[in-house]
Amino acid sequence: MTWQRDVPALYEKEKAEIEAHFPALRFVVEDDLVYVRGSFAVMFEAQVLDRYSVELRLARNYPAGLPVVRETGGRIPRYIDRHILDADGTACVLLPDERWRLWPVGSPLLKYLTGPLHSFFLAQTMVEEGQPWPFGQWAHGAKGVFQFYRELLKTSDLRVIITYLDYLAAKKVKGHWPCPCRNGKKLRECHFDQVKDLREKISRKDAERSLTILKAAGTSAIEMTEAKPTAPITQS
Amino acid sequence: MTADEYLRAVLDSQALEDDSDEIKALQKHRADVEKLIRDNFKDTALTIRYAGSRAKGTMNKESYDLDIISYVSSGDNTGGETLEDIYENHKKALSKKYYVEPKGSALRLKGRDPEDLGVDFHIDVVPGRFTDETQTDAYLYQSGGDKKRLKTNLDIHLDRVRDSGLIDAIRVAKLWSVRNGLPIRTFVLELAVIKLLTDKKEKSLSAQMEHFWTELRDNSADLTVEDPANPTGNDLSKCLDDNLKSQLAAAAKRTLEQIGSSGWEAVFGKTKEEEKAARVEVLRRAAAVATPSRPWLPKA
Repeated sequence: MTWQRDVPALYEKEKAEIEAHFPALRFVVEDDLVYVRGSFAVMFEAQVLDRYSVELRLARNYPAGLPVVRETGGRIPRYIDRHILDADGTACVLLPDERWRLWPVGSPLLKYLTGPLHSFFLAQTMVEEGQPWPFGQWAHGAKGVFQFYRELLKTSDLRVIITYLDYLAAKKVKGHWPCPCRNGKKLRECHFDQVKDLREKISRKDAERSLTILKAAGTSAIEMTEAKPTAPITQS
Repeated sequence: MTADEYLRAVLDSQALEDDSDEIKALQKHRADVEKLIRDNFKDTALTIRYAGSRAKGTMNKESYDLDIISYVSSGDNTGGETLEDIYENHKKALSKKYYVEPKGSALRLKGRDPEDLGVDFHIDVVPGRFTDETQTDAYLYQSGGDKKRLKTNLDIHLDRVRDSGLIDAIRVAKLWSVRNGLPIRTFVLELAVIKLLTDKKEKSLSAQMEHFWTELRDNSADLTVEDPANPTGNDLSKCLDDNLKSQLAAAAKRTLEQIGSSGWEAVFGKTKEEEKAARVEVLRRAAAVATPSRPWLPKA
C-alpha cells in the first residue's frame, strides 16, 4: 500500500500544510515510506520556545495508522519515564485508544503536529526544566490502558472494562448480548448507544491490542485497580 | 529581591561545586599534568600543588584558570641548575603533551593534538625552587622583563585572600572585571579589593561593592598594591599603571551609574534562577493553551 501514490492529492495537501507551518520540516519518500524530518519547533505566541530534531514515519495505511515518531537529536534520554523506547528511540506520544480525542482519523497531519506531538515535546522541555508532566501521563503498559478505560467508562471493575473491549474488538455486536456493565440487562436495553459510539471512535485494532495487554496483565489486575493516572497540573 | 540577595544569586550561579563537570575536568587535567611532570623529573623532589583561585576559593564559573605550582626543593639540582633551567625543563616536559606558551613566571598549556590544536586549557604551571628547607618562600624565573628572579610565597598569597573575609567581594569584583574586559591581573585585583574593603568587612556585600567602585571611580589615581609575600622586592606598579587605573575608574563610574539608573540587574543581568523561572512561566502558559495529551509507553 502506497497511500502517497494512491492518493497523491492528499500527499500534496499534507506536505504543503506541514512545510508552510513548519518551514524546518521536510517530506521525504524512501522505500515507498513517507518521512517528515527536520527541526520541530515548540511554539507559543509566535515565539520558538524550543526545538527538537525529529523524524516521523507515516504509516503505510495513512491516515488510518499513527505516525512513528523518533527524536533523532539524542537529546531526550532513552528511558521509559521519558516515554522513549530504548530499543529504537521511538517516542510514545499518545495512547492509540485516545486518538479520537486528539487527532481523529481523517484530520490533517498538521493537527497531529500542532496537537499531541507539540504537547509531547512541550512536556519534554518542561520535564527537562524540572517540572512535572504538564498534562499528566498514562502509566506504562497495561496500567495505562486500565487508567484510560477507567476514566472513559467511569468504572474500576476490570471485568467490565474487558467486556467493553471485547465488544469494541468484535466484528459486530448484537443487541441480545449481555450489557458489559453487568447489571443483567441486554445490551440493547442498556449501554447499546454508548458501545456503538465507542466503536466509531476506537478502532477494532486498538481495542484488540488493549484487550490483549489487559488480559496478559492478568494477576496484576488488583494492582491495576489501585493505579491512578497522574493528574494534569494547573497553571499557577 | 534585595541587592544582596541578587548578588548572592549571581555568586551562586557562578559557583563550581566539587562534583561539577568543570571541576572534574580540572582535576583530570591536574592529574595528567602532575603525572607528566613527575615522569620527567623522576629523581627530583617536587612539590606540586593547586594555587590560584582553586586554592583560594574565589573561582567563578564564567572565567577561571587552573594554577599549579611545581617547586623543586632547595638543595636539589636534579631538576635544573638554575631557575631558568628548571623553567625550561618544565617547558620541555610539558611540551611532550601540550603546546606550551611562556607567560611571565608561568607556562600556559594549550592543545597540541589535531582535535584540540591551540585550545587554551586555562592551565598555568608555575615552576620554581624553594629558597630553603622550610619550603615556604620560593624563587620563580621570570621569562620577560629585566628582573629574571622573583621571590614569592604561595601560602602567604593564599592566606591573604582566604583570611581576608572578603571572598564574596573578590568573586564579584572578578566577575565585574571579566564582564568589563578589564586587563587587570587577578592577583592585583584581589589585593585592590582587600585594600579598599579591609575596614568594610562588616558592611553588606552590595555596600562593599558600591564602596569599592566609588573608590575606583574617585581615587584610583592614588591606588597602589603591594605583594604581601615580597613587599619590597616585587614592584607591582607596572601591573597597575595609569592607563589601567583610568580604565578601572571609567568602568566603576559606568557601573555605579547603571546601578543608580537601572538597578543591579543592569550590571550582571538576570540570574540563572530568574531566567529559569521566566522560561518555566512561559512554558506553563504554553501548556495551559496546548492540547492536553498524555504520553503512554506500551511496555511497563
